[in-house]
Amino acid sequence: MPLRPARVGRVGVIGAPVAKTAVVAKAVSPGPSPVAKTAVVAAAVTPGRRRRI
Amino acid sequence: MTDITTEAAAQERDLDSLGPVDYIVVEFPAGASNFTGEMSEELLRLVDAGTIRLIDILILTKDADGSVDAMELSDIDELGDLQRLEAELAELLAAEDVEHLAAAMEPGSTAGVLIWENLWAAPFASAARRSGGQLIANGRIPIQAIIASIEADQATASEGA
Repeated sequence: MPLRPARVGRVGVIGAPVAKTAVVAKAVSPGPSPVAKTAVVAAAVTPGRRRRI
Repeated sequence: MTDITTEAAAQERDLDSLGPVDYIVVEFPAGASNFTGEMSEELLRLVDAGTIRLIDILILTKDADGSVDAMELSDIDELGDLQRLEAELAELLAAEDVEHLAAAMEPGSTAGVLIWENLWAAPFASAARRSGGQLIANGRIPIQAIIASIEADQATASEGA
């Protein structure tokens, strides 16, 4: 279906072709189960965790 | 006669109170879509809560040969509750954006493109600007990067044990 006329001939806002990002559900293998990975991420963003510099 | 100075000042005020604008492209691989209305409900919840303001929505399809077709939200027969959002959209995306966004899609897939303003961030961003601050970097940290960081941290800790 055609785009509305207001979209045609204008300068875009995205700027350049977009690269596909890694799909989260597929990025959690190999290694521990997705559930374990979720726990790891949850631990990383838990208040009180301190960085080691 | 239009008071240009007043108009410019009003525009500047409007821009100053604008929240950051983001976009996502959500791909549904061929045969994997399962539209139950759940996505619409969650989107409407965010809008109704004043968390975001929807700016634009497009639905893209990419054929097996790579050709791309774009649909406006109004082209969908049964919009349901999304109907009330349709009239508020701003048509920010241009035709050339369609090609750029579709570059991320797999052939044979359908994708929803959403553009929104983060209303929740606007007051803080405005306050930062009034305080003399300038946004010099922003971004999103992928979950994969967090996992990799934690796992590397754990590996270092176990080596040291």
